[in-house]
Amino acid sequence: MPDINRNDVEIMLDDVGMVYTASDGRDVQALTSVSMNIQKGEFISLLGPSGCGKTTLLRIIADLIKPTSGKVLIGGETPQQARLKRRYGMVFQSAVLYDWRTVIKNIELPLEIIGIPKEERHERAAKMLDLVGLSEFERHYPRQLSGGMQQRVGIARALALQPEILLMDEPFSALDEFTREKLHVDLLKIWRKTNKTIIFVTHNISESVFLSDRVCVLSPHPGRLSAVIDIDLPRPRTMDLKDTAEFTALVSKVRNSFEGV
Amino acid sequence: MRKLKCILTSKPFVTLCWIILLIVIWEIFASVVAQTKRTPENVMPHLSGIIESVFSDKKINGSQTVLEMVLENAAATLSRAGIGYLIGIVLGFVLALLMSLSGVIEKIAFPYLMLIQLIPILGMAPIINAITGDIAVSRIVIAAILTFYPVATNTIAGFKAIEPAKHELMYSYAANKFQIYTKTMIPFCIPYFFTGLKISAPMAITASILVDTLQGGIGLGCLLSQSLKGAMTRYVFWDIVFFSALIGILSFYLMGVIENLLCRYKRAGGSGKKE
Repeated sequence: MPDINRNDVEIMLDDVGMVYTASDGRDVQALTSVSMNIQKGEFISLLGPSGCGKTTLLRIIADLIKPTSGKVLIGGETPQQARLKRRYGMVFQSAVLYDWRTVIKNIELPLEIIGIPKEERHERAAKMLDLVGLSEFERHYPRQLSGGMQQRVGIARALALQPEILLMDEPFSALDEFTREKLHVDLLKIWRKTNKTIIFVTHNISESVFLSDRVCVLSPHPGRLSAVIDIDLPRPRTMDLKDTAEFTALVSKVRNSFEGV
Repeated sequence: MRKLKCILTSKPFVTLCWIILLIVIWEIFASVVAQTKRTPENVMPHLSGIIESVFSDKKINGSQTVLEMVLENAAATLSRAGIGYLIGIVLGFVLALLMSLSGVIEKIAFPYLMLIQLIPILGMAPIINAITGDIAVSRIVIAAILTFYPVATNTIAGFKAIEPAKHELMYSYAANKFQIYTKTMIPFCIPYFFTGLKISAPMAITASILVDTLQGGIGLGCLLSQSLKGAMTRYVFWDIVFFSALIGILSFYLMGVIENLLCRYKRAGGSGKKE
């Protein structure tokens, strides 16, 4: 496990709230008063049922939406400043690949946007592809890949800009259980190698326990942070961990922390 | 038995059946019409006669055979349709681009776009002719107007069909407007754009022929109406009908071929799944 300076705060959320105005004119409280600090290099899960505001929170951090109250600081900067400095890598529920680009060209896309010269672009993209274990599929088109492979390309693309923070919005929820378990192990390997801060949105309890340093449990109506649970399981974690009593105990601890579902 | 079923439902077999059926129906009608003998020449000749007329070297207006005459006039009509088509494509695409760039332009332009489409071409033609003062130019303009609408609407539909996550991705890269268009929006809408091109290619040709009939000069439509009025052999009429149908279909397929050449990923297929 890479050395993490426990006092190195990467993301600071202070009393963050989000109120939407619904189509009938009523205000809907999507998120109330979320406060927490996320350390540099930490793997955090935002866990909760639909409507708990977990994706809203991720989108606030990603600068896709502005909170209606409270403050968010990313390494001392606003989310907008952090986005403009390309400190975020985004991974979505679907891989969001560009059909008309080959796998390697998909990964090169963000590098094209920041104006990296062609040679270097290809070299960096190839390195990322190697990291996710898909080097031999460089010249394939996305539709020729399986869902799991597409999502790996999505991860490689998110890492291409070498962001400090990886924001993942239910990235494995559309995959089958076998592929998902394999990708869990792979994601942890990638995380160990790259030392990113990862915020991982999910509604799968065992997934969040297996991956995270800390699980943030969000509860709905109104969306709020109801518990933060430390997952002090040893690393590196392998599939066998899921059969241990400690793992099961943590899963039920997380499950029992939900309120009003 | 299964093999037989396979052959019976295969595409070439079905197509062949249709062609044979159409020929049979045609010949029945041609025979019926031939018995009425109201005109010196059969209004609906047998197919053999039509094919014969294409290859006949009889000069029908003193200097040209039927085929030479049709081809000469077709060149004029098709080049007008082609120029109009290209102009329509450019205008349609540019308008779609402007409409996607600005909601105000979209709100202003869209109702009029619909309106233009609702006016019949034959009603529009005299007005355009009065404005341009030249029938050849107005034929081009009308082909352009007809092309323009399907191209614009399909391209706009393409821009709107982009999944929001692609926009969010570009946003997270802090991409500028130009990059958003060149890297995401325009490549994404190419198949939609080509749908517009495929719809409007035969339309531009049809419109050109139709507008030809309004006034004289050189053009397939002019020839068509002369032949229909009995000014020359009826076979010219049928040759033009079949020739323009063929060109219309070919223009549609040509667009498909160009699209496939441009979009290599479409040919890559989806069967190579592994893992």
